[in-house]
Amino acid sequence: MQWWTLFQKELIENVRNVKWIWVPLIMILIAIMDPLTNYYLPQIIEAVGGMPEGAEVQLPEYQPDDVVMMSLGQFSTIGVLTIALISMGTIAGERNSGVSELILVKPVSYMNYITAKWASLALLVLTAFALGMAASWYYINILYGDLSFGALLQVLFFYGLWLTLVISLSIFYNTLFKTPGIVAFLTLATIILMGLITTIFSHVLEWSPNYMSDYIQQMLITGSVPGELIGTAGVTIILVILLVFGSASIFKNKELAG
Amino acid sequence: MVLLNVENLSKKYDRKPVIDQVSFQFDSGKCVALIGPNGAGKTTTLRILSGLLKPTSGSITFTGIKQHDDIRKMIGYLPQHPVFYKWMTGWEFLIYTGRLAHLSKKEATKRAEKLLERVRLTEAANRRIGKYSGGMKQRLGIAQAMIHHPTLLVLDEPVASLDPIGRREVLSLMEELKTDMTILFSTHILSDADEISDELLLLHDGRIVESGSMDELRSQYQTAKMELGFDGNLDDYQKKVVAMPAVTTCYIDRNLLHVTVTDIGAARLQILTAASTEQWPLTSFAINRASLEDMFMKAVNS
Repeated sequence: MQWWTLFQKELIENVRNVKWIWVPLIMILIAIMDPLTNYYLPQIIEAVGGMPEGAEVQLPEYQPDDVVMMSLGQFSTIGVLTIALISMGTIAGERNSGVSELILVKPVSYMNYITAKWASLALLVLTAFALGMAASWYYINILYGDLSFGALLQVLFFYGLWLTLVISLSIFYNTLFKTPGIVAFLTLATIILMGLITTIFSHVLEWSPNYMSDYIQQMLITGSVPGELIGTAGVTIILVILLVFGSASIFKNKELAG
Repeated sequence: MVLLNVENLSKKYDRKPVIDQVSFQFDSGKCVALIGPNGAGKTTTLRILSGLLKPTSGSITFTGIKQHDDIRKMIGYLPQHPVFYKWMTGWEFLIYTGRLAHLSKKEATKRAEKLLERVRLTEAANRRIGKYSGGMKQRLGIAQAMIHHPTLLVLDEPVASLDPIGRREVLSLMEELKTDMTILFSTHILSDADEISDELLLLHDGRIVESGSMDELRSQYQTAKMELGFDGNLDDYQKKVVAMPAVTTCYIDRNLLHVTVTDIGAARLQILTAASTEQWPLTSFAINRASLEDMFMKAVNS
């Protein structure tokens, strides 16, 4: 009951500050950017004056799965940045402004407060991501060749887990710090650091969440779900759960004013 | 019946106590003022009571609440500078906080309607809070604090940031509310406390320096007071006046010598005799009764 009240408030807030419009628009934009520019590259080069006499450029022939990976590549940079920016103030901002002083003196369960924030962000981000990938899928099928709907769903599921991890990291830092900028910085820094550690210790960390897109690519090429992808998905889910519960318990023991 | 009993409450930041061994208690139905200068620890005390801060040591006992029950159900709290969601309307905010406090949709609606009327915001109910004036926000703050029928209403400096009109609005609202609930409010404006509270807690440097009902304190501190004005430097005269047998304290404030005395007649004679024999450049001489301000100064200095 109380959870639903908190969740509803988050949804209404994100509708009124038009996040429910611009976040999907950005996600659609970054998803279709590469599929479109790569396809129309010859025309684009022609339009800006063409290549110099004698120069010849062999444009690669892209397969549908290459193009899916291009879209995911954009999500892993601009997409993650967008998530860090829209989520950086969800709790930190409320504590910073002082509005949490009114909310948290009511008998609000800290677990409800954290998970409602988490769920509303996940709903927004994953919906926007799904719309973006659906748009990308549409152009891939028109311009590059067939990609099955099943494959799209698999990509949505596995890459969606990675984005959920990004959200959970941001929520975690939101409970630790009161300054939204620091939250965004630490979220991004952690993801970069995780990538670094994964590269250095690649032989022992083969289920690291940072490998998610590599395994997704493998899945698209072979047409079957590799075991490593299942393992990585499992590790990601466990990390998400740990982060959410960790956030709630940090929040519970934290002084919420001053 | 004792509603709240606070014992040896301390709060330290980096080993430096903000409040130190604070103990007090009051009965239900009272309007209690927590008075003290800025930085005395009023906000810290109220935040601990409402569960926003955890005390370093000490205990808080509420009558009618079990050991591990959520203290927040009993308390309606208004912070010093309440901040709302600007995008919500006043109506939405009240329903939201009511629902968070486990009221049903129907109860919350009924309660919000009633409270909006009580704090005279019915007309502004469907306006965004971002467009409210300071006084309206403060009244909405009081309404949200009362939404879940709390046993104790805790208000932190409810009128400090308001203009005279807003101040009057909130004070008269508190006057109304105190007839049917227990209120604990902090203020550094002594006349506000004088006006509406039944009991006083004087906080200074994190300690309770004096407490009691208004009448008790009045009679305890019932001393006559004189104000002397001089041409020229007051310091020399302060020394002379404070040495007189009928004078208890003497301090300088706003170019006046404030003198508290044990016996008006004796003090008047002593001061005026000295003034005429030594030819003091007196510009004014007034006698009045001790105000809350004097009580406070006296309690703090002792």
